[in-house]
Amino acid sequence: MKSRVILKVEFPHWIASLIKTENVIGIKAKEAGKFHFGKLRSSGELRLDYDVAVLPPKKYLQPPKEDLLSYNIASFKVTPSADFQPITIIGVHPYDMHGINQMDAVFSDENKDTNYLGRRKNVKIIGVDPVKASAWSFWHDMGTAYVDKGFDLWLTDIGDRYFIEIGTKSGENLLKPAKTESASKIDIERHKKARSGLKNICSPSRRIKTDIKKIPDIFRANHDHGLWEKRAKTCYSCGSCNLVCPTCYCFDVREDMELNLTGGRRVRVWDGCMLEEFARVGSGENFRKERSARFRHRFFRKMVYMKEKIGALACVGCGRCASACLPDIADPVTAINELSGLED
Amino acid sequence: MKPRIAFFDFASCEGDQLQIVNLEERLLELLQHVEVVSFREAMKEHSDNYDIAFIEGSCTRASDEERLKKIRANAKIVVALGSCATIGGINCIKNYRNQTEVRKEVYGDKYELFDTYLARPIEAVIKVDYKVPQCPINKEEFLSVAKALLTGQKPFIPDYPVCVECKMNGNVCVFEKGMTCVGPVTRAGCGSCCVNEGAICWGCRGLIDNPNTDAHKEVLEKYNLTPQEVMNKFKLYFGWSDTNAQKPQS
Repeated sequence: MKSRVILKVEFPHWIASLIKTENVIGIKAKEAGKFHFGKLRSSGELRLDYDVAVLPPKKYLQPPKEDLLSYNIASFKVTPSADFQPITIIGVHPYDMHGINQMDAVFSDENKDTNYLGRRKNVKIIGVDPVKASAWSFWHDMGTAYVDKGFDLWLTDIGDRYFIEIGTKSGENLLKPAKTESASKIDIERHKKARSGLKNICSPSRRIKTDIKKIPDIFRANHDHGLWEKRAKTCYSCGSCNLVCPTCYCFDVREDMELNLTGGRRVRVWDGCMLEEFARVGSGENFRKERSARFRHRFFRKMVYMKEKIGALACVGCGRCASACLPDIADPVTAINELSGLED
Repeated sequence: MKPRIAFFDFASCEGDQLQIVNLEERLLELLQHVEVVSFREAMKEHSDNYDIAFIEGSCTRASDEERLKKIRANAKIVVALGSCATIGGINCIKNYRNQTEVRKEVYGDKYELFDTYLARPIEAVIKVDYKVPQCPINKEEFLSVAKALLTGQKPFIPDYPVCVECKMNGNVCVFEKGMTCVGPVTRAGCGSCCVNEGAICWGCRGLIDNPNTDAHKEVLEKYNLTPQEVMNKFKLYFGWSDTNAQKPQS
């Protein structure tokens, strides 16, 4: 992979010039010490020292609510909605990049998802190696501390400069207004060192105590373990763990008719398998009626089914589910360790 | 022929009907599809011949029952509007108190002249076909229910907690901001509007069908609320479904 370096004194000028030419989304501060991805208005807003974003950048590829098509029942006319604005997202962490790479695989498999793929084609990603981790993060042990595809540019803080890996041609084009230099031997050494230190950023208390390759078998063997029922007793079925997850992609499709009762829109909205109505079918039956059945399903989806489907665990270790769960039952770290028989 | 619709109110602030008037020009658009035959807040005409009755307010007097039953007999479809009608609303706070004291507090020494009993949602008296929750109702949701009824569909009212909408909106959880709320057991559909504005969820849309209230009481205590404070959180809007409140003798 080609690489360059940019001095930190030059960096804000580059971001400022990108803001002028691109529709830039960046990682910014939110209230209560939290961070979120949002429209970047100035380079000063960019917070590459963040720990984790409230929502993963998924929201720009599969928005919480989006139009699929508009229709008119008088003229029998249907128009697909395909308004995909080009955007550049700055500040994606490796675990979230893994999440996006998984979504790319899911949405281009079997049924090609026009909306997702149309949007994805118009999204440029400038990733960054983390310098901090949230108290809930455990990406150090999920194989997601590094990423080698999906991005256009990747930044690593190496002291007074950023090391830039160039992932694509359009990434290279984004660098055109930047005052960059070729990476020296020292830069490459520093980059290597920064990379090797990445695994020490998450708290040691967030260790996965088993070999992650064993996770699918551990879960398969514990389909009837008491953990599901025990934890689900205090589950709200609120779907928070689903909705903040970078690899959850389920959606519901609804109709939104206009008041003239002839035109309307078909919209899709985020859904979650923890919600009570998720598995209710037309006849009225609900095939995951019990909280514990839904609770187990989410874990199996992450640790077993997606591994079978796309070859990767659908848990990237961001810790958002654990952090969002008020009764504190969603944490994959404690669940994996407990099922492995390796808890403290 | 256009369906004939009528609006009625019981114990309430009439804020839900006001929301309908607040539709302004879109109300005119709705009138292309329906004929309003009774709407005390917006017109003086009245007819007892209607297809759909929209009822605001809770039932707080024995004498309300007769009027409710008459509406039910006249209407093909009854829709409850707002927290008072759908879940009893804040009127049910009085159900936790001594009823004579409550009457004295409001009506003074003439209290015996004023008939009142435990507040209840209209469903406690008559069959309700659909409910538009919230305090006050959301105009958009009212329109969405109206459109569904006009096109022969089942109206969509979410049966999941407000957390879903908070997460979709990317809100920082109120519990992370040093506050607490009842969003995890409250029916969504409001778009988490209060939390979006920096406030908390008070539960005005009522509980979801299968809320984990025990889990939420535990969580609230974990976040340092006293048992009394936890009770108060649940009393504000959930009084009718709270087993600690007095129940009418049936």
